[in-house]
Amino acid sequence: MRLNIIIGGKAGQGINKVSEIVANTLNKYGYFTFNYRDYQSLIRGGHNFNTLSISDTQIESHEARADILVALDEWTIKVHKQALKKNGIIITAEQFKDEKQNLNVTLAGALIKILGIPLKELEQEIKSQFKKYEDALTSTKKGFKSQKRIHQLKKLDNNPSTLSGSQAIAIGAKNSGLDLYIAYPMTPATNVMNELAENQVKDKLMVFQAENEIAAANMALGASFAGTKTMTGTSGGGFDLMGEALSLQGISEIPLTVYLASRPGPGTGVPTYTAQSDLDIALRAGHGEFPRIVIAPGNSVEAIEKTSEALFLAEKFRTLSVILGDKHLAESEFSSIETSSKTPKSKIIRKIPGKNLVKNSSYEIDKFGNSTESYTLTKKNVEKRLAKYGTSKKFIEKKFEMIKIHGNKDSKTLIIGWGSTSGAIKDAIKDLDAKFLQILYMKPLSNQIKEEMEKADKIILVECNVTGQLGRLLREKTGIKIENRLLKYNGRPFHSDELKNSIEKIL
Amino acid sequence: MKPNLTTQSENTWCPGCPNFMILESIKQTLTKLIESGEQKQTDFAITTDIGCHAKIFDYLNLSGIYCLHGRALPTAIGMKLGNPNLKVLTFAGDGAVYAEGISHFIHAFKYNADMTLILHDNQSFSLTTGQPTPTSQQGYTSKSQSLGVFDKPMNPIKLALASNATFIARTNARDIPHMVEIFTKAIAHKGFSFVEVIQDCLIFNLDANNKDKQMYKIKDNTNKQNAEKLADEFDYNSKSGKIPLGIIYQSKEPTLEEKWPQLKELLNKKTLWKEK
Repeated sequence: MRLNIIIGGKAGQGINKVSEIVANTLNKYGYFTFNYRDYQSLIRGGHNFNTLSISDTQIESHEARADILVALDEWTIKVHKQALKKNGIIITAEQFKDEKQNLNVTLAGALIKILGIPLKELEQEIKSQFKKYEDALTSTKKGFKSQKRIHQLKKLDNNPSTLSGSQAIAIGAKNSGLDLYIAYPMTPATNVMNELAENQVKDKLMVFQAENEIAAANMALGASFAGTKTMTGTSGGGFDLMGEALSLQGISEIPLTVYLASRPGPGTGVPTYTAQSDLDIALRAGHGEFPRIVIAPGNSVEAIEKTSEALFLAEKFRTLSVILGDKHLAESEFSSIETSSKTPKSKIIRKIPGKNLVKNSSYEIDKFGNSTESYTLTKKNVEKRLAKYGTSKKFIEKKFEMIKIHGNKDSKTLIIGWGSTSGAIKDAIKDLDAKFLQILYMKPLSNQIKEEMEKADKIILVECNVTGQLGRLLREKTGIKIENRLLKYNGRPFHSDELKNSIEKIL
Repeated sequence: MKPNLTTQSENTWCPGCPNFMILESIKQTLTKLIESGEQKQTDFAITTDIGCHAKIFDYLNLSGIYCLHGRALPTAIGMKLGNPNLKVLTFAGDGAVYAEGISHFIHAFKYNADMTLILHDNQSFSLTTGQPTPTSQQGYTSKSQSLGVFDKPMNPIKLALASNATFIARTNARDIPHMVEIFTKAIAHKGFSFVEVIQDCLIFNLDANNKDKQMYKIKDNTNKQNAEKLADEFDYNSKSGKIPLGIIYQSKEPTLEEKWPQLKELLNKKTLWKEK
């Protein structure tokens, strides 16, 4: 069972509130939801919409075709009418224009009725959200009464909880005992900053907004040097600015974790939309040769786990860890009944200033931490850094999940993808004879990837970028060129129904 | 306890470079603080930029980071966020701070972290063979600017005042006792202290050297209007005019560590983040 609701209108009209209230009600009623947020770079006006996808089993994607369209303005009907299925329903806000600030709960009432969910389920949600809820309840009832019951959703036993990717990354960081988050605002990374800032004093951490990304990354290194668990976060443009500091991490070996939430580039691109086009810079940014770890979680549970792993590994190997996400992971809302794995205990055992004499440098150093230009020491230091590639990989192979296999494990058709695209792939292949290899560790890469590729008769690459960056990486590492590529690069993530059609054409 | 501030690194400054005197002055300043029991040697952490001045990193037996060019200030502020109990000193040059890292200079005054910036100003990028910096005088000709500098130099003291600095001082790299006095007062200041050290380069931009005759010592000043007048006396450009030395301005404002409740707690309890 799968239903999709598109809720559209102008920025500031409250479409997020409608989808939030309805999603919460559905989750408590036992249903899984996935909420995709499509919004423009403006504060009031324009056209924004959410696609709230509903299912009785776990889902991690939205579909292109909608069952219900909730239109807060005329434009929404114009834009989305074509996406509406035959017999699809349109609810217009026009009919409730007297409700004013209670329009969002009125629309929620209308939606709940169409879905066939008892009014009291929604009323409970309203009571938990508003301090003064009497008027809201009246409006909700009005919305409920205005519609006919079309679907018959029965109460289920599941109790999924919903998190956005950004919330999940903040939880992962807190689980690992993060002390400082130092950043400069940039969409779509800023939500992690907001999440951590909300209760920072109570949570015994600090969120510091630096004057720019260069300052943020260098401050993060200074703070980490002083003996803290520190993270910074940004999007592609800010990550470019951090490049030199990443390189300083490489030589100084001061632990650093960076959250890179990518969006379509080059330049400013389409800043509130999504792309997986920054894998290359995550893997390579910064001059010189130095080890790093790049991890790309695909949903909220993985975001919690992989953030903790990134912080743990940065400290353990005194290396750079990059958590690679994008707008689709950061801002989509995932519901799940899975619980995240146990957080690896990350302790700072290195020598720290204040207690010891510690010298770290952007230069090659001698045994005291002072500069050297000696060729023997230079070579020795380079080789010490080189050794970390191997030791960290060995450790990760033993300890953490580097890849996941989904779908029919015996299938000869192998789909390869990563990050936020994983959700659409998982949902697209539910009824197909296909195996999905999800790559979580982009660096180091698991040796199992080549084995899986060699076993397959047909390989399909699915990515949200134009050059197939993962495909190029795999060709470099395995020598295998993937001929079938499904690449999307219009700033929008894959819809699972659309992706299923595309995969079927190749099969 | 007598600290050992000396390292085994070979000193590669040019013979006669005033950096030797700055190094000696900072050693005398810190030795007094450590011998008196006021501080431990391990309480100090330094950041240095890139350039001739920055080699001081290798010659001081103190914790620290030898930073990227232009970034010694944000790295130092990061150290204060990471442990507000550290006594942090930043050594940087005129090129590093006024060109590559100028945004950090302005914001450092805004944050007002309790730390000290010692700025070696020789009006030249000397380690890269003498290109002009933002404080080089008009007409300074170098290999890279063969037509000479057309622009008037910036006045960092005026910029610091406009940025709400709480401590601005100027001293002379040829005068060890004065440097020790000013460094001591700068470290004692609660907040971000900025010390400009006027320094000759014996190899490049020789025209900017030998300003001693213009220099005179002032009494510690806390009046903003006086500070503005003092800041105007030296324009980094002309051979005439006086160069005031001493504390040009000092005031009291809440520090970074006092403004943030999380840092205040670490400061009061003298604890680390990881012991929180």
